[in-house]
Amino acid sequence: MIGTEQYEITNYLHAVRAALGDLPETTRDELLDDLPEHLAEVLAEAGGTLVERLGPPEAYAAELRASIGFVGGFPDPPPPDKLAELRDAVLGRLRVLDVKAGPLFGYERASAFLVLLRPGWWVLRGYLVAMVVAWALDDSGQPMGLLPRIGGSELIALLLIAGAVLGSIWLGRRSFTFTERWPRWALYAGSTVLVLVAIGGFASADSSSRDANYSDVNYDSGPGYGGVQDVFVYDEQGRLVTGARIFDQDGTPIQLGNPYCVEDGSGGYEHSVHMGYPYCPEQAPFRSPAARPDASASPSDERSAPVSPSAAVSSTPVPTPSASRSAPR
Amino acid sequence: MLPVDTTQLLKGVLDLAVLAALRDEDGYGYDILRRLRTAGLDEVGDASVYGTLRRLFNGGLLNTYVVPSDEGPHRKYYALNAAGRAELQRSGKVWQGFASTMDDLLRERGTA
Repeated sequence: MIGTEQYEITNYLHAVRAALGDLPETTRDELLDDLPEHLAEVLAEAGGTLVERLGPPEAYAAELRASIGFVGGFPDPPPPDKLAELRDAVLGRLRVLDVKAGPLFGYERASAFLVLLRPGWWVLRGYLVAMVVAWALDDSGQPMGLLPRIGGSELIALLLIAGAVLGSIWLGRRSFTFTERWPRWALYAGSTVLVLVAIGGFASADSSSRDANYSDVNYDSGPGYGGVQDVFVYDEQGRLVTGARIFDQDGTPIQLGNPYCVEDGSGGYEHSVHMGYPYCPEQAPFRSPAARPDASASPSDERSAPVSPSAAVSSTPVPTPSASRSAPR
Repeated sequence: MLPVDTTQLLKGVLDLAVLAALRDEDGYGYDILRRLRTAGLDEVGDASVYGTLRRLFNGGLLNTYVVPSDEGPHRKYYALNAAGRAELQRSGKVWQGFASTMDDLLRERGTA
């Protein structure tokens, strides 16, 4: 009967080993080292097969695993949490910095000083919220100023600021009681967005107030002149003046448009070759035969204007009722 | 709260129970299991005792020797060595302190 017993032991052992297949090989071998002898001892006690006495091999393996502390199947230790490691490292550095920077503010830690500034942040936060709300609701098309105007109303702006600041302070006092994760994270996310909006808003307000001078004198043409590309000056005879220069009351040159012309052939842009206005005489909206910019105009030609048979306009005014004067169309 | 059952409690004290079972007399695996069950630890499984014996042996707390047998297989006997006896003493005191604290607690609350 030894043979049968040996067969039973081998089978059982094999199944236990298979169930522990995820353990490192050395651990498993060490664990199962004595098991054949042990199982033989068990069988030698009176009564039943191994499965009847010990239960199924898988259950035996599970119990064995628990007895050595391998509860789960982890051949290797779980991989370290990189994100948590990074966070801990950053927080550690910040704590050192906190203590080191403390004396600068006259406190043991810099954070002790920053905590005192917290109500100030609440007020600023309220103002920023008001600005964002006004920006979202205002459809007047005006650029944002420093007050959260809606439809240009200062009263609404002041009421909005007051309401938002009070709300922000209320929230600030309440946020200490936020123990759940998501309200705190929502608050942090909201604050981050506000700070980004504020940085963008102040940057654009700053650049528009700094550039105002520059653009007024030199380029900005004021309301109504934004679309001007070129300037055409006509004398009282209706002749196009070339090489004109225009100045304001301070003698500052007024610059309108840009000195680039559409080339006739290619359709590309070319820098104007003309000094002063117009940049592109070829583009003149009104043509006077007396001063055709494209007909090699010279003072002598002026008198002897080319006469074409079909010409409906004549440069020399003829006092006949039928003659039509050259005039702006 | 998790319900307290013997299996849970046993995990913490199985080492101590096996050491205690070997205090007066050496024993082989199945023999030790029988002693624990006779003492009242009915839920102890054979694999737990086998695994614990392996671990205590690897930890240097037990010695082993093989006793040949005419009728059956050889038997591997386990015996406490000096380190094992010291550990039994130390862990035994920890357990007694813990057990008496729990006794007191339960008596005070009137649940014992």
